[in-house]
Amino acid sequence: MCWYHWIAISSLIFSVALFSYQFARLVILGRPHDLSVSSGNVTKGIVYSFTKAMAPGAKESAYLHMPTYSGGIIYHLGTFLSLLLFFVLITGFPSLNDPLKSIFSALLFISFFAGFAILMKRIINKDLKSLSGLDDYISNGVTSLVQLFTAVYLLVPDTETFYYLSVALFFIWLPLGKTKHLLVFFFARYHLGFFYGWRGTWPQKSE
Amino acid sequence: MDFSTDGGEPGLKNRNNMQKIDKNKRDKALELLKSGSDSKLLTHLNACVRCGLCAGSCMFYIAHKQSKYIPAKKVDLVSSVYRRYCTSMGKIAPALVNAKDLDDSMAEEMVDLLFGSCTMCGRCVKHCSIGVDIAYIVRKGREMLSAMDMIPASLQATVDSALRTGNNMAIPTEEFVDTIKWMEEELIDEMGDNNARIPLDEPDKNIFYTLNPREPKFFPLSISAIAKIFYAAGENWTISSRFYDVTNYGFFNGNKEQATVIARNLYDEIHKLRGNVLVLGECGHGTRANRWEGPNYLQKSYDFDMTTAVELIADYIRQGKIKLDKSLNKELVTIHDPCNLVRNGGLLEEIRFVVKSAADNFTEMNPHGNENFCCGGGGGMLAMSEYNDRRLKIGEIKANQIRATGAKVVITPCHNCVDQLSQLNHTYKLGIKIKTIAELVADALIIEK
Repeated sequence: MCWYHWIAISSLIFSVALFSYQFARLVILGRPHDLSVSSGNVTKGIVYSFTKAMAPGAKESAYLHMPTYSGGIIYHLGTFLSLLLFFVLITGFPSLNDPLKSIFSALLFISFFAGFAILMKRIINKDLKSLSGLDDYISNGVTSLVQLFTAVYLLVPDTETFYYLSVALFFIWLPLGKTKHLLVFFFARYHLGFFYGWRGTWPQKSE
Repeated sequence: MDFSTDGGEPGLKNRNNMQKIDKNKRDKALELLKSGSDSKLLTHLNACVRCGLCAGSCMFYIAHKQSKYIPAKKVDLVSSVYRRYCTSMGKIAPALVNAKDLDDSMAEEMVDLLFGSCTMCGRCVKHCSIGVDIAYIVRKGREMLSAMDMIPASLQATVDSALRTGNNMAIPTEEFVDTIKWMEEELIDEMGDNNARIPLDEPDKNIFYTLNPREPKFFPLSISAIAKIFYAAGENWTISSRFYDVTNYGFFNGNKEQATVIARNLYDEIHKLRGNVLVLGECGHGTRANRWEGPNYLQKSYDFDMTTAVELIADYIRQGKIKLDKSLNKELVTIHDPCNLVRNGGLLEEIRFVVKSAADNFTEMNPHGNENFCCGGGGGMLAMSEYNDRRLKIGEIKANQIRATGAKVVITPCHNCVDQLSQLNHTYKLGIKIKTIAELVADALIIEK
C-alpha cells in the first residue's frame, strides 16, 4: 500500500463517518409527528414516492428536460460505477481483464462527458448560473474528475497517484457539499411520500 | 381589502414600511432553523441540488421568465442562511458551501420572493427531481420573517382582523346576522316552507358549518346554496354568529401563535355549541389550516369529526340523501382544482364525483388535478395588494387554460379561488361564470315536498 492508498482510505472513512452521523441524526429524529387525522395511507404514499412518482413521465423536471435528465441519469450511473470500481481497484478483487477495463473506461468517459455538459450548462445558462455558487462547481468538478481519472487509470496504470488523490478529494467533499444528496435524497422522497400519503394524494387513484 | 392594481414595483411599498432587523430579531429567526428537532426540516434544507429544473413548473417563472422566480432560488434563500449559521462548513468557509448571512438585504429579498412570489401551491414540489418540499421551506422562511416582524402589512392586517373580530373581513356580528336572516327569508320563499332554516348559534346540532367571510360579504347566494342542500338532505346543522370563519391567514403570515389563536376560536366554538362534525366550508387554505394544521397548532388531536363541504355533499349523493337532475346544469363546466384541496388535500376524486353528478357537460382543464396550476391567488397573494400586478400576470396561465376548455362555467370549491378567477374573468375577458360546488349542486337539486 502506498501513501496515496492510505489517503484515499482515510478519506473514505471520513466520508462514511460523517454520513453515518447524518443518517443516525435523521433516523433518530423519527417520522413526522402529525396530530391530524390521516385520510390516506402513509406506507403506500412512500412506496409511490419511490416508484411511480419517480417515473420520467410523472415529473416535469424529467419529461420537459429530457436531454438534461438523460445526462443526469448517465452521470449518476457513472458516479456509482466509479464508487464500485474504487473498491475493486484498491482490493484487487475481482481482478479486471483488459476488455472489461476498456468497457468500463468507455462508459466512464461517456458519463464524464455527461457531467461536463451539465457543468457547461450551469456556466452558460443564465438562470442556472444565477442559482449557482462554489458548492455547485466543486461538487460537479470533483465528481466528474473521479470519473475521468477512473477511466484513464483503467487504461493507463501510471496515473495511479492522480486517481487515488481524485478519489480522496471526492470522498472528502461528498458529505460536505450538495453531494450529500446521496443520502438526503432518500429521506426527501420518504418525507414527500409521507406528506402526500397522509393526505390521500398519493398513490393517485385516478388518471 | 384593496384589490386595486399597484403600478409600482412589487415589494417596494412593502419594504418602506419595514424596520431593519436587529440582532435580537435575527436570533429569533435563526432559532427556527437551529432547533434541529425536525427530520423533515433538516432533510429539505439539505436536499436541493439547484438543478433548476423546477423553473418550468412554477407559474411565477413561466409568466415572468426571471431567474429570481425559480423555486430553487426561494429554497436557497432559506437553506443558505441555514448553512451559514447551523453547519460547521458554513461557519468555517461559507463561500465554499453557498452559505449566506441573514442581513437586511437578504431579509428584504426573502420578503419579496417568499411572500410576494410564491403561492405555496406545491406544484414545483411534485415535479422536483429530488423531492424537496419547496412550499414547506417557503413556509419556514415566512416564519423566520414573521419572527423578524417583516410580514407585509396588508397580509398582517387580514390576520389582525381575524384576531380582533373573529373573521378576516372584520364583518360586525349584527351585519352577519342580518345577512343570514335575509338568506333565511329567501330560503323560505324558494322552498315554500316556513320551516326552512339557517340556524344560528343552536347547540347540539350534528353539523357545525363554517364559511369564508367572503360569502356573507360578497357572495351571500353561496350561503343560500348550502342551506338549500342541507334543507334537501334534512340535515341538523348550525352556524355560529361569532366564529364562523373557516379561513386562517396565520397559515400564510408565518406566525404560528396567531394561527393557533384563530384555529382555537373554531375549536372552542364547536365545543361551546356541542356540535358533532366540523364542516369546513369551501375554502382551500381554510381546510388545510384547520384539517391538517389545526391539531398541530393546538398540539392535540381533535375530539370531534371534521370534513369538508365537498366530502359531505358527496356523501349525501352516495347515500341518496339528496337527488340531483344533471340536466338542470346544461352548460359546459370545467373544474379549477384548489391546490390546498387537491394536490395538498387529496380531494381530486371527490370533487369530480360531485361535479359529474350535478352537471351534464364536463370537461377537464389541461393540466388538471394534482398537476393543476394555482389560480394565482393562493399563499395569501389575494390579501397582499402590493403584489397585484404579479398576481394577475401569473393568473394569465389559468385564464388561458380556462379559455382552451371552451367551458362556460368554472367550478371551484374555494372562495379564494372564486375571487381570483372573478378578477381573471374581468381582466382577461373570459366571459365565464364561476361557481362553488354548493352552487352547482343547489342548481341541480330535486326538492321533494
